[in-house]
Amino acid sequence: MAFNVTEVLEIPIGVGTITLENILYFAVILTIGVTVARIVSTNVRRALTERLPKNESELLAKLVYYIIILWAFVFALPQLNFDLSGLLVAGGVAGLVIGFASQSVVSNLISGLFLMFERPIKLGDSINVADVSGNVEDVRVLSTVVKTYDGIYVRIPNETVFTSNITNYVHNAARRFTYEIGIRYEDDADKAIRITREVIANHPFALKHPAPSVFVDNLGDNSVNLTVYIWAPARNWWDVRTDLLWKIKQALEANGIEKPFPQRTITFADNLEVKNRAAGKKGDD
Amino acid sequence: MFGRYNGTFCRECGDISVETDVVNGLLTYRRRCEGRTFERILVSKTGEIVISPVEPHNLPENITEFLLMEFSPIVIEPDATQTVYLKFPVEIGVFLESAKDIDVLDIFGLGPQKYTLYGSPTNGLIARCYRSAVYPEIPPVEPFREGVLKLCIHNAYNEWAEVSCAVFDSTDMKIYYDNYVAASATMKIVSKTLAETDFVDAPLRPGMTKAIELNVARKIPVLDRGYLMEWGY
Repeated sequence: MAFNVTEVLEIPIGVGTITLENILYFAVILTIGVTVARIVSTNVRRALTERLPKNESELLAKLVYYIIILWAFVFALPQLNFDLSGLLVAGGVAGLVIGFASQSVVSNLISGLFLMFERPIKLGDSINVADVSGNVEDVRVLSTVVKTYDGIYVRIPNETVFTSNITNYVHNAARRFTYEIGIRYEDDADKAIRITREVIANHPFALKHPAPSVFVDNLGDNSVNLTVYIWAPARNWWDVRTDLLWKIKQALEANGIEKPFPQRTITFADNLEVKNRAAGKKGDD
Repeated sequence: MFGRYNGTFCRECGDISVETDVVNGLLTYRRRCEGRTFERILVSKTGEIVISPVEPHNLPENITEFLLMEFSPIVIEPDATQTVYLKFPVEIGVFLESAKDIDVLDIFGLGPQKYTLYGSPTNGLIARCYRSAVYPEIPPVEPFREGVLKLCIHNAYNEWAEVSCAVFDSTDMKIYYDNYVAASATMKIVSKTLAETDFVDAPLRPGMTKAIELNVARKIPVLDRGYLMEWGY
């Protein structure tokens, strides 16, 4: 019995007049589309990596990717005898059905598009959104991927991101951080302020303007408390914060200014005497 | 120290030492500057090492491309033009150059760095900050620590203006060198808070050699567009 490939391909699959050949063509066109989209978007990403910020190059690469896939899909649809003009007629009813069925998907999609164009967050930004803190790894069409500071992968639906309060720690060029430093009551606060200012002035990323501020903020139970305000570039502030505190501590100690231990002065109402037990024992002997 | 080197060499100047040597059969680049060292093993048959001054915004790490020069206030009348000389910080770049490619191997410099915010925290920018006196003519400089910036200030505004700082996009910076490092720039005062700054691609004196631009070495195309100071001068 002869096996004729052409005849096999012309076998209807039972849905209208669609044959196996149509399905094959549809799959081939889509596969080519996806392959071409991947190649082109990879090359776009590679070409733009050094020319544009990472966020923008990723956005362009994704745009190119989805446009090519959409084009391939539209190009392949006639293989399924799908009349695109019929889509307009059926669109009303189908739109309702699909709309109800994929409400959250569409909502995430629209939110994702708004996020891409409004850009409250960019790739690499340090953010807090929906009680998740971390760095933005990816802003996709349906979701945003955040890598927490512990290195955990968190996928947040774009609708949640869009409707939540977004705190972007690096959106502005600079940000301020605060130290509270306690010194002993017998230490010279003016000297401590001068030394602290010098250490800050010597740090390259403790910004010259806005100028740092160091002052006696309050008189605590155990210490005179200095408050230090320092501005740093938003993207380096954590490094500066962790680096400077130890340097200030070392400089203060090198100049004889120390952080006091908790202390309490107790006064007895009945003039209680402290006896030297050891001396007393010797006397008894 | 600036120039091109093949194979092994050693250059020392004060606190700076740059050398390549064969260590355990491997060509090794070694740099020492103010107690900090940097070392890399090089695999190259035809490559050259080029030492050249570079745009001063890379140390201790590259977080901005802007340079803010602070200087004693200059009050300038409408339509007046004045050329002054300032000192700017020098950073030294070490490049690896072959017939096909050039790349940055190392960047170092003498002296401290300091950064500042120009403008507001919301819309401003971070800039490398450097304070200089104002000189009427080319001042003497420590060649590997400071360079000479020729700044031509023009007040195109119809009121007196007081200038005490200039912000530059140093990706546009055109540096030349011979015995010292130099660059030329212009500053045009446009209004009470606006001024345009730009670098001029010309040596301070004939015979100076043009330095390699970092963006050329890094293959990053840039437009020479100058910078518009929007938050005062």
